[in-house]
Amino acid sequence: MNEHMPNVAPSDKRDSQGSPLVLPRLRTGSIARLVTVFGSLGPEREKRVHYVFDVGEAKYWETVVVAKGPVRSLVPGLPCAAWYERELHDQYGVEITGHPDLRPLVFHENWPIDVHPMVDAVNQVPWASREYKFLTVQGDGVAEVAVGPVHAGIIEPGHFRFSVLGDTVLHLELRHFYTHKGTEKLFEGSFANSVVMIAESVSGDNCFAHAVAYSQAVENACGAEVPPRASAIRLIGLEFERLVSHISDVGGLCTDVGFGVAAAYATRIKEFLLRASADCCGTRYWRGIAVPGGLRFDLDSSKVLQLSQVVSLAARQFADLAKVILETPSIQNRFETTGIVSLDAARDLALVGPVARASGIDLDVRRDHPYGHYGRLQFEVPVTHYGDVMARAKIRIKEAAISARLIQQAASALTPGSVSVPPELGGELRGSSAVESPRGELYYWLEGRDGRLTRCHIKSPSFQNWPAMPFAIADNIIADFPLINKSFNLSYSGCDR
Amino acid sequence: MIFEVLERSLRQPNRVIPVEALLGNCEGSRMPDVTAARLTPVIAQRLVEVCPTGAISMKELGGRPCLQLSYAECIGCGRCEERGEGAVATLPRFTWSGLPKANLVRLWDIESHAEVTPPRPDPEIVRGQIQSLFGKALNIRQLDGGSCNGCEAEISALTNPYYDLERFGIHFVASPKHADLLLVTGPVTRNMAEAVKATYGAVPSPKLVVAVGACGCSGGIFAGSHAVVGGVDSVIPVDGYIPGCPPTPAMLLTGILEVLRSRTPR
Repeated sequence: MNEHMPNVAPSDKRDSQGSPLVLPRLRTGSIARLVTVFGSLGPEREKRVHYVFDVGEAKYWETVVVAKGPVRSLVPGLPCAAWYERELHDQYGVEITGHPDLRPLVFHENWPIDVHPMVDAVNQVPWASREYKFLTVQGDGVAEVAVGPVHAGIIEPGHFRFSVLGDTVLHLELRHFYTHKGTEKLFEGSFANSVVMIAESVSGDNCFAHAVAYSQAVENACGAEVPPRASAIRLIGLEFERLVSHISDVGGLCTDVGFGVAAAYATRIKEFLLRASADCCGTRYWRGIAVPGGLRFDLDSSKVLQLSQVVSLAARQFADLAKVILETPSIQNRFETTGIVSLDAARDLALVGPVARASGIDLDVRRDHPYGHYGRLQFEVPVTHYGDVMARAKIRIKEAAISARLIQQAASALTPGSVSVPPELGGELRGSSAVESPRGELYYWLEGRDGRLTRCHIKSPSFQNWPAMPFAIADNIIADFPLINKSFNLSYSGCDR
Repeated sequence: MIFEVLERSLRQPNRVIPVEALLGNCEGSRMPDVTAARLTPVIAQRLVEVCPTGAISMKELGGRPCLQLSYAECIGCGRCEERGEGAVATLPRFTWSGLPKANLVRLWDIESHAEVTPPRPDPEIVRGQIQSLFGKALNIRQLDGGSCNGCEAEISALTNPYYDLERFGIHFVASPKHADLLLVTGPVTRNMAEAVKATYGAVPSPKLVVAVGACGCSGGIFAGSHAVVGGVDSVIPVDGYIPGCPPTPAMLLTGILEVLRSRTPR
């Protein structure tokens, strides 16, 4: 294992037929938070399963199991592993015992059941026609409402199967992965230094967080140091993305309750920021800026300062708007006690990001696993425990103000210097990196040799948080679903990859 | 409370960008242009190598080596500009929005340093034609065939107070059955192919289809993936293409108006 791996504890290799995985525990004795589970192929093309946990230290804890036979499911003790193991089963054909639901997740009826794209050849995969069985809720008066994959708006595709009793939702089953693009496989065989644009296309509105997370993973793999100016500008970009995302989300919540004036006002502030970004760096969404080793080009310091002035103005306008929104009685009526995610559910599902912080989980990668420029700046992490739509809105409103302050601090202290040290990528590569994207913890893990990648795994916050949606909607009326869904603001493409 | 909201709205200045300033504008998209005078065989070869999606390629035309740039594949990553030693620059205006696919291709003769793209019929909407666009209502159904959501973010921006798409009589509708035009992003994934076909089938004829973004135009960076079928035209017929990764709201508006102008009777 590479000695330049600050984020990863030394792995200990196990055989799946030996003793079951001993789950790491926190100092308090409770089981550590699961970050991700994924597969890879070893040097002899043997199937391996990687488990990554957050054990309450700056470094993540990782272990690898060689899957010579069936692997025991973690789900009975750790429900949050359910989708990861289903994905592993789909991608690698790893047999898993004790999993309560191993229906295909990523691949739909059109995909042959016995083709596992991370192991098998995938040119000319025939079209299949299988059946998918939804869970059915039985009883007098229970009806099903099927929504999607094509939704009635400018939204990504996904399927929701509601079982309702009158207006009240008894159960929601998610059927996603309509936008699955085989992204992880696309990295295989590519030069690590030149495929950051694949990471940028995982989730279009969080493209900078993906670009930075990917770049940091490559830097971690080869021990490259990013120049201070580049890491300060990365921080500005990451916080800018969060600010834009949170403003957009709060505006979206207003749209979903028919508060049109506030919604339009939020879209205006967002556009004001995006146009300022195009002036500053030639791109509205910070695409094509981060690369392994730093930035692809330097930004003019005076333009960065101009951007930070626009940010400060926009943040004031947003704070003003937020005050009006939060004080409007009809908004309080719709937001409060709607779509509650309890602390227990949030823990069981290992939720991340604003959704977790709104349900009482004090978790932020920027503070808990500092990267780039974050170790040098002080900032608070807002947490609340109500777990409803209002809590998620308030968390975003507070975080937007904090992001704006971080941008001011970084922009005013920007020092001259180079912005890139191209990394040397000889020999074995193995690295990982985590970033607090606007939606929460985003984690990249990659492996390669002589500059080329053999595996790149992406744990996206949306993949982690989607399974909480059925818990948030249960016992609410179906008409509140768009509002609750918006308050999570999950990416379909980020989840489906 | 509501009076406070109204007062704030009234205090806001008008943000609407005049249509003349939007047509052809591509600020923030980084679409490339080739400066033919600086093109050498060595630079041309390098441009082909650094392009991640094959948008730049070599082509023989009448026995002469030419550099070909296809905007359908271009994701505006800027690597060609970075490595092109001055032979590639960011376009100040982009007038290839809303055209048929064949017209998204440009060619430069490497030896004679001249652009040899065959001329296209209507270069762009000129000022005098803007009048002709009035009085044409259009209902758009947006359809995500598997995109990363970057194009959706920019399509949503069309309704904000800067672009105000409604001023042209253009609306986004909820049902394909109410639509005149399908605005489709891509790449079309295997899992969405059936739904894209069904949605197309639900739009009453006559209908228009516009493919959006590098992925919608060609599959973009995802072309060739086992989970992706390809660009929008690999599943349903397409009338006009709007390149970009993602196309900016101005490029989207230009493209939609171009399709409206060229594909509907005056």
